[in-house]
Amino acid sequence: MILGYLKEDTINKIIRGILVIPLFLMTENEIIKSKKKIKISNLHEIGLLIALILVLLLFSFTTENFFTQRNFTSILRSASYVGLIAFPMTFVLITREIDISVGPSVAWSGLFFVILIKWYDFSYFTSATIVILWGILLGYFIGIARTKLFIPTFITTLALWSALRGYSLFVTEGRPLAISNKEFRYFFGGDILGLPTVTWIMLGAFLIFWFASKYTVTGTNFYAVGGNPKAARNIGINVDRVKILALIGTSLFSAIVGILFVARVSSGNANLADGMEFDVIAAVVVGGTALAGAVGTMTGTLLGCVFISMISNGLIHWGIDPDLNKVVKGIIIFLAVVINSNVTFKSNSGGPKED
Amino acid sequence: MEILELNNISKSFGAIKALDNVSLSLRSGEVLGLMGDNGAGKSTLIKIIAGNFKQSSGTINFENQKVEFSKPMEARDKGIEVVYQDLALCDNLTAASNIFLTREIKRNFGLIKIINFAEMFKRAKNIFKELKSETLPDEEVKMMSGGQRQAVAIGRTKLSKAKVVLLDEPTAAISVRQVAEVLELIKQLKNQGIAVVIISHRMPDVFAVSDRIAVLRRGQLVANKLAKESSPEEVTALITGAIEKA
Repeated sequence: MILGYLKEDTINKIIRGILVIPLFLMTENEIIKSKKKIKISNLHEIGLLIALILVLLLFSFTTENFFTQRNFTSILRSASYVGLIAFPMTFVLITREIDISVGPSVAWSGLFFVILIKWYDFSYFTSATIVILWGILLGYFIGIARTKLFIPTFITTLALWSALRGYSLFVTEGRPLAISNKEFRYFFGGDILGLPTVTWIMLGAFLIFWFASKYTVTGTNFYAVGGNPKAARNIGINVDRVKILALIGTSLFSAIVGILFVARVSSGNANLADGMEFDVIAAVVVGGTALAGAVGTMTGTLLGCVFISMISNGLIHWGIDPDLNKVVKGIIIFLAVVINSNVTFKSNSGGPKED
Repeated sequence: MEILELNNISKSFGAIKALDNVSLSLRSGEVLGLMGDNGAGKSTLIKIIAGNFKQSSGTINFENQKVEFSKPMEARDKGIEVVYQDLALCDNLTAASNIFLTREIKRNFGLIKIINFAEMFKRAKNIFKELKSETLPDEEVKMMSGGQRQAVAIGRTKLSKAKVVLLDEPTAAISVRQVAEVLELIKQLKNQGIAVVIISHRMPDVFAVSDRIAVLRRGQLVANKLAKESSPEEVTALITGAIEKA
C-alpha cells in the first residue's frame, strides 16, 4: 500500500541506490587493495547510513508532512544544536571520560548570557565573550578535578548537572527571562541561504573537528590516550593536558549552544535543554563511539545526530506521545550499544592476535 | 667500545636493599641477557638505567661520560630506550602512528600543522624493512600478531636512533613462531651495532640471542659471563642459589 505512492522503477532506483552507497564507501576505504581489511569504524558508519535512509523512507511513506523542506529544516536545526556538543563529546568519550552536565550547562549558559545583558547592561558581544570564557573555565575545572584530584568525570559532571540546573531555577524563580533584539534573533536564530544559521555553524564545527581528529597531532593524541593511557604517558604525551582539553571542548560548546538557544527563543530559561545530555551522548554512541574509549569518528557522530533528531521528529509526526518518544530513544541507545560493542569489540577483540 | 657502564650501583627502598653494589658494562652490538627470579632486582636496575629511579649510590657512564637521569625523557634523548611489554603501543592506532607518536612528521600550512601520513608510512616501511619484518605501516596494531607488535615497539627505538635498547619480557605470552620473529628482530638490532639488554624468564630465548648472561639474585650480581661458556642448567642454579657465584 505504502509503495503505491511511487512508480515501480523509482523504487528500483532507490533500492539500487541504497545498495550502491556501501560499495562506494568501501572503495574509498581501500577494500579492494587489501582483501580482508574493512575498517570496523567505517562498517559502523555504512550501517548507520543505511539505517538512516531506511528510517527516512519509513517516515516519508507513512506520514504526510515528514517529507517536506520545512520539516527537514526543523530536523537539521535540532540535529545542529545536538551536533555542536556531540563533536567535542566524541573526543571526551574517546579519551575514556564523560560529560553528563551539558544539558544544565546549556541552560545556565543561556541564562547567564541573558542576565549579563538584562541585569548588568553588558553588550551582546561582551556577554557572549564572558559566557564563552565561563565555558572554558568550567571545562578546565572538570579537567583539573579529574587529573589532579582524581575525581571521575562522571561524578563531577553529575554534581554540576544538579547544581547548574538548581542554581538556574533559583536565580530565575523558574520564570523565563526575555530579551528583545531582532537582529540577534534573526541572525543567530534564523536562516542563511535557506539553512538555519546554527546548521552552518555546526557544519563549520564538523569540518574543524573532523579535520582535527584525522590530520592533527592533537586529534591523534585523543585516540592515543584512549587507546592506552599508560603507553601514551610512557611515550611522553601529556595525558592530563589532553583530557583537560577534551573536557574544555564540551563545556565550551555547551556555552556556545546556550547562547544560540537564547537567539532562537529570545529568552533565557532554567528549563531549557532538558535531557540534552541524553541526546548528545546517544548521538555519539549511535554514531559508533565506544563508551570505553579509543574508538569513534566525527562522521559517525554527525550521522548519529541526524539519526536521533530524525527519529524524535518522525515519532512526533506519527502522533506518539512525547513521553513515549523518550522510551523509544532509550531503546535505540540500548540497541546501538549492543550493536556497537558487538561490531567493534568482538570482531577484533583487543590484545595480540595469534597467527 | 663500552657504551654503558654501571659502577657499584646500589638502590635502597627504606630498609630493603633492592640492588647491592652492581657493576655491569655493555658494548655496542652486544646482546646481554639479564636474568633473575622475581624480586631479584632486574626491574629496579632497568628503571635506574631508563631514568625512572635514581640510584642510592654508584655512577653510570654512557659513552664514557658520567650521566644522571632524573626522568625517562632524559635517558631517551641520550639514546637509551626501554620497550615495555604492555606499555608500548596504542592498539587503536596504525603501526606508523604508533612509531611516530609524539614525533609525528608534519607539514606546515601557515598556522596549521598537518600530519604527513604519506611520509610517515614510507619511513615506517623502511624501518620494518631494516628489521626484516613484514609489518604493514597502515594497519592498526590491534589486528597484529605478537611478533608484529614487538616490531612496532622496536621500530620506535629505531626512529629515535637509540644506542641502547632494553627489552622487558619481549617473548612472554606469544606463540612459538612469533618468538622466532622477535628473536630475529633482536639479531637485526645487534647487527646494526645497537646494544640490547633482554630481561626474560624464558631460558631458551635468552640463550638463543645473548652474547653474555648476567644473573641477579637478591640484589646482587652473581654471574656475568659469556653465554657460550655457560649453560641453562648453570644459570638456573645461579638464579635459585644452588650455585653461589660464577
